[in-house]
Amino acid sequence: MALLHSLLLKITTRLKSHEIRIRRRRAFGAWLTRHATLLRIILFFIGYAWMIVIPSPRLGRGIYIDENALQPAQANTYWGWGDVRNADRYLEQLEYLRDANATSEHRAQFLKNEFTKLGISASIQAYTYTLGTNVLNGNNAYAVFSSPRASGTEAIVISASWISRIDEGNGTLNLRGISTLLALAAFLKRYSLWAKDIVFVVSDGYLDGMHAWLNAYHGETQSNLLAEPLYLSSGVVWTALNIDYPGHSFSHLGIFYAEGCNGRLPNQDLQNSIYWIARSSGVPVTVYDHIDTPVSSLSFNWLPDALQKEVRIYTQHARNILRHVKYQARGLPSGVHGLYHQYRIDAVTIFGIPATGPHGFHSIGRVAESTLRTMNNLLERLHASFFFFILAAPERFLKIGHYLPSALVISAATMFGGLKAWTDAGWASEIQSTKTYDKGISHQRKHRPILGVITLMASMHTVGLILFWAVMSSWYMNNSHMSFLLFATTTALVLLIAGLYRSHYGSDLYSHSQILKSFNLSLASAIISITTILNFSLAAILAILLGIPLSICIPSSPTASLPTRVLRYIPYALLGVGWLLFPSKQVEQALWHWEVLSVWFVPFVCIVYTPIVLQAGLVGLI
Amino acid sequence: MERRLLLFLSCFCVFTSASFLNEQFDEKLAIRPLPDGRVAATFVFTTILKDVHPRDPRTLQFNDESQHYTLFPLSLGQILREYAVSEMHLTLNAGNWNYDRWGYPDEPGVANGAELWAWMGVNQKSMEDEQWRGLRNALAGLFCATLGSLDDQRTTSPILSFQPHDSLPSFPSQNQSTSASSSSSFHALRHASLPSEHVCTENLTPFLKLLPCKSRSGLASLLNPHKLFDADWHGMGVHVSWISDEGVKLRLTFQTIMDPLRITQSNKRSWSLENLFGKGISQRCPVAHTSQIVVSLPRGDMYAIRPEPPRIHEGAAIYDLNQASINNLRQTSPLPLSIDRTLKGTNQANGYLSLVLTNRLPNDSLKILYLEAMPWYLQLYLHTLQSEVSPIDTSLSSDTQKEAKNDLFKLINYIPSIQHSRPTMLQALLTLPPNCTVTFKMHVVKSFLRYTEYPPDAQRGWDLPPGVLTLLDDVDGKGNKIEIGAKTNRIFYTRPLLVDLATPDFSMPYNVIIFTCSVIAFLFGSVFNLLTRPFVVVRVGKEKKEGDKEKQE
Repeated sequence: MALLHSLLLKITTRLKSHEIRIRRRRAFGAWLTRHATLLRIILFFIGYAWMIVIPSPRLGRGIYIDENALQPAQANTYWGWGDVRNADRYLEQLEYLRDANATSEHRAQFLKNEFTKLGISASIQAYTYTLGTNVLNGNNAYAVFSSPRASGTEAIVISASWISRIDEGNGTLNLRGISTLLALAAFLKRYSLWAKDIVFVVSDGYLDGMHAWLNAYHGETQSNLLAEPLYLSSGVVWTALNIDYPGHSFSHLGIFYAEGCNGRLPNQDLQNSIYWIARSSGVPVTVYDHIDTPVSSLSFNWLPDALQKEVRIYTQHARNILRHVKYQARGLPSGVHGLYHQYRIDAVTIFGIPATGPHGFHSIGRVAESTLRTMNNLLERLHASFFFFILAAPERFLKIGHYLPSALVISAATMFGGLKAWTDAGWASEIQSTKTYDKGISHQRKHRPILGVITLMASMHTVGLILFWAVMSSWYMNNSHMSFLLFATTTALVLLIAGLYRSHYGSDLYSHSQILKSFNLSLASAIISITTILNFSLAAILAILLGIPLSICIPSSPTASLPTRVLRYIPYALLGVGWLLFPSKQVEQALWHWEVLSVWFVPFVCIVYTPIVLQAGLVGLI
Repeated sequence: MERRLLLFLSCFCVFTSASFLNEQFDEKLAIRPLPDGRVAATFVFTTILKDVHPRDPRTLQFNDESQHYTLFPLSLGQILREYAVSEMHLTLNAGNWNYDRWGYPDEPGVANGAELWAWMGVNQKSMEDEQWRGLRNALAGLFCATLGSLDDQRTTSPILSFQPHDSLPSFPSQNQSTSASSSSSFHALRHASLPSEHVCTENLTPFLKLLPCKSRSGLASLLNPHKLFDADWHGMGVHVSWISDEGVKLRLTFQTIMDPLRITQSNKRSWSLENLFGKGISQRCPVAHTSQIVVSLPRGDMYAIRPEPPRIHEGAAIYDLNQASINNLRQTSPLPLSIDRTLKGTNQANGYLSLVLTNRLPNDSLKILYLEAMPWYLQLYLHTLQSEVSPIDTSLSSDTQKEAKNDLFKLINYIPSIQHSRPTMLQALLTLPPNCTVTFKMHVVKSFLRYTEYPPDAQRGWDLPPGVLTLLDDVDGKGNKIEIGAKTNRIFYTRPLLVDLATPDFSMPYNVIIFTCSVIAFLFGSVFNLLTRPFVVVRVGKEKKEGDKEKQE
């Protein structure tokens, strides 16, 4: 009996605890719903504040080498003044070719002959891109040095493009880079310590030549590219080094460390190794071509001394990170190295920042030799260090955990907004005195018009697709100055769709608008959070552009007049399609990158970004 | 006691002298300057065991007769008899032989890494794998090489490509009395290769121990590891075969390609024994029947050679430069055939295998036997095979190309792989039209491995053995085709390949396992709860509920 009693007691207490839990949960849910707006504001604040804090010297940590096999700067280098003389002689010949206005075939033939003279098998690859009505062709010269006793299953690529990356490849020639490459070929051949084949590539143009070469090397096909197959082949390429040395001398070695096509980054170990190597050979290193000068335009004298230094470092870091975001968000490679990443090759460009001195062939040769020795040490593909990082300075970086949450928090805030709108759309709240469930307010279920809204969203994405086709068409390529026409058409098309929608669903457009807002916010949130992993810079830009603008759009009230609604729509149209009004050079560049290098920034903007913003505009319009 | 010792000694003397007559040791060094400035040097040490037969597999169950050799290495002889090996070829090479630059090698076995193939006498079908395992383990011990890992996953039996070099004994004729059981004894071929094997000094030392004079005198004293292992290419080979009217022949070979330009750090193509091998020959090998150094003289170019070519008698080196008197002297002539095999594609799930063959003969087509022994983790899709013929020089294109298109790839012998155990074996007869480049492409799928199957250096990739191409036609110096017998087919090896399979991040498996398990458990628990248990507060009278509960108790 006592047993039964105790059991009974236990059951009652358990039931009670269940009840308490359920009540607590409900109370929490109710509290959340009540304070959702506040929560969203807090999350937005945290997210944006975090983004501002990213360049702070207090975030992040010093770089370190993770892969023990690399052993950077541990090898004695043998590159000497004889090799520098060699490079000078090659430079003379290349300058002669430049002055004689040699054709692409002629240049490639010269390079092939020089490699052959060294006893290295060399060949030429011709390629042609068909871009609408334009044709882009060139000739790559390449050579494969089979290392003694190496099986030829692995290879290292050293490349130099004919056109330097300076000013994003608008025509300065990389003659000294190519001379360094040729002198290196003559030099490396004298040693038997290479464990991997070494492939020398002098690519034509800036990015196009290397892209064609890599395509052929990996047997990929691209519909608008006609590239000759490679007659010489080698093994799997793990790492590559690109040499860019356009000036007469250089003061700093800029490491264009990261950004590949579509925002892919190489393994951080490679960039760290080069930093160690350059530092130990006495060459100062910077990120990009940012030479560390105190920020002169901004004076921080009014700040206390302790803060002054921190602010100065902050501005330097911010400059580097903004440059990084500029490349990564657009999916733009920051140099020839960026083309390798999509083939799982970790590559870095070492860039001699033009200056009057003091470094030249001697320094760049030693750094290149030592880097190759380090790459040669690799027993496995680089896998130990980070693939997701932001380099704030040559010796400081941010791990993924230091920057990723900023965009995710904003995405979460957006998602809360979407869920709130979904709940609001499903319940009509009325104040009733009878039949009290809780107190005062009674909720009534409301029909949610999902199908119509989804159709509307699909039509917006179709508009995006049409916009993409229009932008890709040859008409646009020839008349890019007419892009405001495209802007007007797209804007008008959306208005037309909105009008049709209103006439079809005459009643209760308010809940349509609410559901549209809810779906739009959820979609934006999902896209931001997925993109953070793939391309953080793009996700951060999306978080800034979409986060608050999408959240503040007001669902159309039945009483709003047409001009008010259109007025509300205009800012979104500008935000969504306004890029068509920008200087057309940017758009053209992005289009070129999509066509030649398959950088998906243009399709992403047209098919994902623009529709989402237009949908936000529609929320107030319908 | 004394008498016994004397008896033993006399027996020993008689036996030694007798067996010495039955054994013959010859050594030869062929040096051949190559068109690209490098120098090919090939050492061949031949020991013939006269009038001896390989072991009859039917006697494997009995104790073997005792073996006494003077020149023939006992350690190797015991292994050969223990596993009834009639013919065996083991090569350990480092580097990739460049056929286009260096021509056809003096010793054809130039596959990168280790390659072992043997014809064994087998009495019972079940015993052949047992014998093969024993053979490779014994050789692994003898040569300090990783031959033990040439397991079933790498072993094939490509009879067409690896025909015996000499004859194989036929056992029934030897032993008439056991004719009943003789019907089941036959010869079996086993072939395996290990492209990632590294060849080093530890392999050379046991190799030298097989020579009667070791490396103390004779040509073998040039085998200086410091220089040999700095060469552009080096490889050693152990070849045992049986010649019906001579006996068992053992050929120990060492082949190198050296670069005088790199060794001397000068711009001259001159070389001497001293700078190639780091030493000269001070003493002859007293038991050597012949000992020759053969230098191919450059044709057409100016050259100087010291000491003067006439034969040097009495010395170890019969230094013979008279090309006419040496029948197997070869000049490097460009080969009519170029081979390139690559694995294309960038992802870890699939790709395609591309084989590009170029026939430079202007008028004759070439017949080639193609062998692919692919480990199971790379599955070939034979039905996706595509071939493409393109002329090297469009002006010379002829109708024969179109005719040949129908029989480019025929006589296909295909044994599909078994996951986690047997490799794929593909043999086919290719016909290359003249003056053409033929490209074969085949889709491949990269398999998933079990996590215990990953090697410690999983991020490196997996080595795939080279493809083997056997040229069934031969070509003379003028580019005319000569039909030659099956026994002297020229074998070409392609470069080994490295393939990336899907590899987990082994640096933090524990974190990954814990993290994924937690996430899955969390998601499953929440979703399951939400789907199956609605949480609502049911308002009922307190007493009534308790009463209900009591009833239930």
